[in-house]
Amino acid sequence: MVSALDAARARAWVDGFVAAVEERHAELGELDRRIGDGDFGSNLRSAARRIVANLESAPATAGGPFAAVSDAFMATGGTSGPLLGMWFRALAKAGADRDEIPLADLARAVADGVAAIQRLGGAQVGDKTMLDAFVPAADALAGAVDSGDLAAALAAAAEAAAAGAEATAGLSARLGRSSYVGDAARGVPDPGASAVAMLFDCGARAAGAPPTRKETNA
Amino acid sequence: MSSARRSIVNDPLDVVDQALRGLARQHRGVLEVHEDPAFVARAADPGDAEPRVALIAGGGSGHEPMHSGFVGAGMLDAAVPGLIFSSPTAAQVEAATRHVDRGRGVLHVIKNYTGDVMNFGIAAEVVADDGIEVARVIVDDDLATDGAGAGRRGTAAVIVVEKACGAAAARGASLAELVELGERIVAGARTMALAVEPLTHPGADQPSFELGPDEVELGVGIHGERGVGRVPFATAHELTGHLVDPLLRSLALERGERVIAIVNGLGATHPLELSIVFDELGARLDDAGIEIARSLVGTYVSALDMGGVSITLVRADDALLDLWDAPVRTPALRW
Repeated sequence: MVSALDAARARAWVDGFVAAVEERHAELGELDRRIGDGDFGSNLRSAARRIVANLESAPATAGGPFAAVSDAFMATGGTSGPLLGMWFRALAKAGADRDEIPLADLARAVADGVAAIQRLGGAQVGDKTMLDAFVPAADALAGAVDSGDLAAALAAAAEAAAAGAEATAGLSARLGRSSYVGDAARGVPDPGASAVAMLFDCGARAAGAPPTRKETNA
Repeated sequence: MSSARRSIVNDPLDVVDQALRGLARQHRGVLEVHEDPAFVARAADPGDAEPRVALIAGGGSGHEPMHSGFVGAGMLDAAVPGLIFSSPTAAQVEAATRHVDRGRGVLHVIKNYTGDVMNFGIAAEVVADDGIEVARVIVDDDLATDGAGAGRRGTAAVIVVEKACGAAAARGASLAELVELGERIVAGARTMALAVEPLTHPGADQPSFELGPDEVELGVGIHGERGVGRVPFATAHELTGHLVDPLLRSLALERGERVIAIVNGLGATHPLELSIVFDELGARLDDAGIEIARSLVGTYVSALDMGGVSITLVRADDALLDLWDAPVRTPALRW
């Protein structure tokens, strides 16, 4: 049983995320067009391209791939990009200068990253944002630390993120661009939360867990 | 329906970058334009080696000469321009902050817009890990947005904050002292704007909003945002009254007080018109017994090519006027 995220799995997580963005950016962009301003898909895609470029010079530590992602999102416009950049930065710090991130440290870094998003973005759970997937994922991960099973813990986080993202379809937004469309956003899941579900699914797969049930996208 | 003004550009997507290249050419030896991530900094000056607090401001482009025009001795150390009307990225702010830091901390002067506040905040957290101390002053002077959920927007009062804090930093003020100074200026500053013509984005085929021939948008934002309402087009005398009266009420200025007054063109308003508005402002403040101790009249905070004007009043005391009078050498302000 693997109980730490090593550099190879961290890299596989990031590679999987880049591939998933390439595959699903149009779908996420379409969600954003329905409830926001429609730039989310293209912002994600331009971040993915920067990630690929950054990976070439990323250090071979467990945090290196996450630093490449963080830097890419920090250089992205919009609101979601930089907030995702701060989340990845917490993982990059947890894996800086070492070959693997023990599960307990990973759970703590995930929670730190989520706290940074709350602090800087000012949203809470229930506001129909990426936090509606991030917070349950962080809680699920923290709850699975004692199992000592990285794959099972990330799978639990991915399940929780997917459920959280699906539930955003029933919410109307208080913050962000979708707050301007009011109840018209009901029935459509939040694209940011959907991307977070995708992100944790990639993490679970990189750790060796079977794919999460595919979350619906309205 | 009004038609869009034609603009002199090459590629609408390259407007900000090419303008920065032009700025660098124009101010060689004074400004340095850094690319990817983009920011504008003072050119290296061997005569300015003292450790002191450094100042950064930034925000979306389209408001020139703000902020790049305020980079130079006695004012900003760097400006961070985003795309037109878009916040700069956290990576840009981070790079500029690292570049200007001299070990005494960096002051971020931020106009109150969600994206700007967030991206400057992210950059501050990132550099804090490397021991760079950052503090911020948030400028929220736009009276038209008083009571709005996101708070008042920031606009031309930022010039006074940048000028006074830049002068104080040059004299060796600490980061905490600069925050206190900046917040005191902001607390005594309000701005009110009106638009008589809408703005057009470079390359766009129509203006960003419609304004009837007899309409004036009162309280308009510097991105063409809706203001407090539409009023009938009228003489400069009446229009100036729409701006000044709410400012005097909001600041509760009393007879004998002094102000710094800024009459700012929003992009397409002629200097003759701005002087007329300033004359009207002066007459009204004379009546109210308020002294315009210092003033700026010109286009400093534009909203692309919007036709219109904003008036900013900032409560002034001897200390603030002394900082205002300190030498400044930037593309847009120089004395």
